[in-house]
Amino acid sequence: MSAVIAPPPSDDPSAEGRGGLNPPASQVAPRRPSPIRMLMRDTGGAISLFFVLLIIAAALLAPWLAPRDPFETDLMAIMQPPSAEYWFGTDGQGRDILARMLYGLRVTLGMGLASLIAGGVLGALIGFLAAFYRRVDGLLMRLMDILLSFPAILFGLALAAIFGPGLTSVIIALSIATVPLMARIVRSSALVVMGLDYIEAARAIGMSDARLITRHLAPNCLSAIFVFSTLRLGQVILLGSALSFLGLGAQPPLAELGAMAAQGRNFLFIAPHISVIPSLGIFVIVLAFNLLGDALRDALDPRLRI
Amino acid sequence: MLRTWKRAALGGLAALGLAVTAQAQTQPRNQITIMREIDSDRYDPHRSTALAGGEVLTMLSDTLVSMDFDMRTIQPGLAARWDVSPDGLTYTFHLRTDVTFCDGKPFTAEDMAFSLNRWIGRTTPRVVSPVAWRAGNVKEIRATGPHTLVYELNEPFGELLSQLTLFFGSALDPAAVERLGDNFGVQGFNGTGPYCWGSWTPRNEMVLTRHPTYRWGPPSLENRGPAHVERIVWRVIPEAAARVAALQANQADVTNYIPEAFWDAIRRVPTVTISQQPNYFWDFFMGFKVDKPVVSDVAIRRAVHQAVNREGLVRAVWSGHAEVARNIVNPRAADYDAQSDAMVPAFDQAAARRTLDEAGWRMGTDGVRVKDGQRATFLLYGINTLANQRSGEIIQQALRQVGIEMRIQLFDATVAWGRLATQEFDAFFLSYPYVSATDALSLYWHSRNRPTPNRMNWANPQTDAWLEGARRAIDPAERATLAANIQRQLAQEAPWLTLARSQMLVFAGPRVTGARAHGLYGIGIYKGLDLRVR
Amino acid sequence: MLRHAMQRIGLAIPVLFGVLLIGFLLMQVVPTDPATVRAGPQATAEIVAAIRTELGLDQPIWVQFGIYLGRLAQGDLGVSIINNVPVTQELGATIGPTLELMFAALLWSIPAGIFLGTIAAYWRGSLLDKFIMAISVAGVSVPVFFLGLVLIWFVGFQWQLLPFTGRGGPLWSMDGIRALILPAVTLGGVLVGPVARMTRTAVVDTLSADHVRTARAKGLAEHLVVLRHALRNALIPVVTLIGLQIGFLLGGAVVTETIFSWPGVGRLAVGAILSADFPMAQGTIIVLSAGFILINLTVDLLYAVLDPRVRQS
Repeated sequence: MSAVIAPPPSDDPSAEGRGGLNPPASQVAPRRPSPIRMLMRDTGGAISLFFVLLIIAAALLAPWLAPRDPFETDLMAIMQPPSAEYWFGTDGQGRDILARMLYGLRVTLGMGLASLIAGGVLGALIGFLAAFYRRVDGLLMRLMDILLSFPAILFGLALAAIFGPGLTSVIIALSIATVPLMARIVRSSALVVMGLDYIEAARAIGMSDARLITRHLAPNCLSAIFVFSTLRLGQVILLGSALSFLGLGAQPPLAELGAMAAQGRNFLFIAPHISVIPSLGIFVIVLAFNLLGDALRDALDPRLRI
Repeated sequence: MLRTWKRAALGGLAALGLAVTAQAQTQPRNQITIMREIDSDRYDPHRSTALAGGEVLTMLSDTLVSMDFDMRTIQPGLAARWDVSPDGLTYTFHLRTDVTFCDGKPFTAEDMAFSLNRWIGRTTPRVVSPVAWRAGNVKEIRATGPHTLVYELNEPFGELLSQLTLFFGSALDPAAVERLGDNFGVQGFNGTGPYCWGSWTPRNEMVLTRHPTYRWGPPSLENRGPAHVERIVWRVIPEAAARVAALQANQADVTNYIPEAFWDAIRRVPTVTISQQPNYFWDFFMGFKVDKPVVSDVAIRRAVHQAVNREGLVRAVWSGHAEVARNIVNPRAADYDAQSDAMVPAFDQAAARRTLDEAGWRMGTDGVRVKDGQRATFLLYGINTLANQRSGEIIQQALRQVGIEMRIQLFDATVAWGRLATQEFDAFFLSYPYVSATDALSLYWHSRNRPTPNRMNWANPQTDAWLEGARRAIDPAERATLAANIQRQLAQEAPWLTLARSQMLVFAGPRVTGARAHGLYGIGIYKGLDLRVR
Repeated sequence: MLRHAMQRIGLAIPVLFGVLLIGFLLMQVVPTDPATVRAGPQATAEIVAAIRTELGLDQPIWVQFGIYLGRLAQGDLGVSIINNVPVTQELGATIGPTLELMFAALLWSIPAGIFLGTIAAYWRGSLLDKFIMAISVAGVSVPVFFLGLVLIWFVGFQWQLLPFTGRGGPLWSMDGIRALILPAVTLGGVLVGPVARMTRTAVVDTLSADHVRTARAKGLAEHLVVLRHALRNALIPVVTLIGLQIGFLLGGAVVTETIFSWPGVGRLAVGAILSADFPMAQGTIIVLSAGFILINLTVDLLYAVLDPRVRQS
């Protein structure tokens, strides 16, 4: 091995400690060119944005795009491999997999968004409160630490045990698992802003707390929230579909990608497409959100550590 | 340096890979592994009716009489011969004198009397078998000598001998039952069977060892004992695909739990041998609670019959490897009535719509019919199996097309039986084994058997009278006539939609011979005496 | 250092208590009466009442919680509704296979991740770096079951190289190792990505640090610079990450066990939930949570030992 290759210079700040964010040492990022333009400049970002938009559009337009009724069973066409007539083939009940995936996309995305919004809003609120009212900071963050001690899958198992398997249990579990993550990120971002002079000034002129939070704190945390949400959506979808795959989430005949993969698994050696295509679908969706999240971070604030 | 490292690591991995893959044959020499899908909750013939329990129990113990492969002929078992009194009320069994339990203790008529009395709840502490009725209306079961057993009935029971072939009538060692208490069949067992209890890890595997002095196997088997193999391992592999692959890769030897979808593919594998039992009676059906709203209307029930394409259903769910059914009873079972087959409403969606129109069910705006303010909707319960999921979704879609809404709720097997005993639902999926028409009919249609197994809540004095007549009848012709009456009545009233008659295939890998499908009560390998490692 | 340790342990105790409380409450809300269950299906009302008294179910709820904690301390988690087997017995039988699987997954995926991350950092910006990072993003996006199904389809079914039908035997036997490979590859597969990514970031940071520059200036061989100086310091955050990923790994383990019929705690938990076996479900969740808390605590303390900044505080 040669010693000639010079180590590339680093543009990354110091190695960070455990979990969460390292509040950037500097002040709020200076205005950069439009984030969208930054995003589009990055090939990966542009492609992932395109895919994410495509996925959302497919879910919204499912009734118009689906070639058939997703529940219609054609008993003469059981487990057909992909063909010109059935692009993604048919499943064990002779249903069109493409149609089911389009409708399944709605369930999968809906499940992800519902958990993200429920957990994210609560988490962000806690984060703001912790950053703004330093008295409750310690208590709130210890609580978040406790929640963070548990992997999401355990929430999923526990809620399914209490309320029985179902989409609701999964959504609640994933929401709970999202709360502490969002709270930490929002708190770190908000703390940076809190250290700035103009907050002091605003306080001095008697601006109310609520106004301060909504007018000054929140907007400055938006990029962090945005980046985190995009990445988290991918993770939540991955977790939710795993729970559905285990039979703890969406119940048949509801089309959900993880549940579809689980049902198709029984025919893996005869008709692999029944489980492989929905699994691949999940992979593509999560990948798109992850890539978009990465690209968004690079575009909005490369120093974010999420 | 890095390079040498890498080379070493790669070499190591390759060596490991070679060593690991080289060893193809992984099973001990004289052991046979049988695969199945689920485990039993326990192995006590009187506290569990699970098929998973029965499969093992027929190996662990024996019954008074045994069933031949034709599913009709009763053969000797623990009883070498028997006499029946002319009035059909007293059976005298003359037991073999050479039988011993696994622990070496000789088997006596007292032990048999204890076992049978435990079945019908006449021992202390009292155990109530859910299927005590299968033993008939018993007056007394007693030992009149060391090897003579008298079985006295209050009323004749033409089915008695075939019922006594089922594993519920297994011989148990009273001492072991007492010693193990609640843990009998959980931590140990002591029976007279060709194999003895080795060890059990629930939901994983059950290990049985050969009973070395066993010589009293049923005459229908080639080997009367002792067993050829030293150890039988009953392995639970919940994944169908994994069972198929394990069979092909010789990781396991025998199974009858291969889904029909794989049958065509597996037939093409030269190393796998297949044994089919043509006289196999295990039906899948959908029952209606005839006293619940909507499904209490015979027009709805007949329309469901007409809306569901049973042929398509069999093709889809059973990959065509089941018989398309009409009547409640299998044509090859004793006392089957051919005429009622024609009376069961046939598949015809247009006829279904007509039936509903004529009965006053008008199409509503949401695609579901309405009559007198009542929507044509009903709730179906079932066990969460792949077949039920798939049949459910297909039937749901078929009914939607004629304007009936079927809501489905499937439960894990362990919970389902409890839920299926309630009155919360309107229709249900189940499947069941039977021995003959009379057996099948008396199980489900006597008003006394409500709420389970008569989950239809079928209470018809005429049916009851016919059933009792058929049960008592000693003349086979009379019994057949009465059984036919019931079949016709049920065909007309349509409280039960037979979905398919499944087939019994036993698959065996190249290591094993003697895996012949039996099928009694759904048990693939009966006793396992003929199993042998090549 | 000691203060840090005490702080961490102090935090773990209420968490553990919370888990036990939730486990206890779980049993309160479910529609099953433990006394009836323990008595068995044939018991009379008197027997049930006697057991109720014996179990303390007629006491106020906080006394019951005390009794419950006492029973837990004695290792009594109740008995399964399904087969009356003590929950601790089932857990004892399944915890080994789960640890085996998780350990095997870590054993290959951590070195693989560190290796990939290091070379990606070293040749930062190169095609190789981009390729490794692409794999790593794919790794965090792939559903575990997809990975497992693909491995089963090719390695297990088409090529018939390795078994995929559950545990093959004890770990020291060839069967045991063979059966472990595919599940361990599946489970570890989702860990390589995050580890590689984290290692890359950490190594990039340390490569430009002063002591690394000094070492290089002294003319130390390049691979020694990377191994001794850059990688060693980069390992601290990586160790932390591994701790954080244990939860992720646990989720993967539940799915992996299900696909490969692996007789572990995860599969036990899912089976218990699906069959509404509440005592068993509660037991598995308590043990999984407690195990997770313990691992987190260990990683925390380990981190404190490794990181001089914490050590000195």
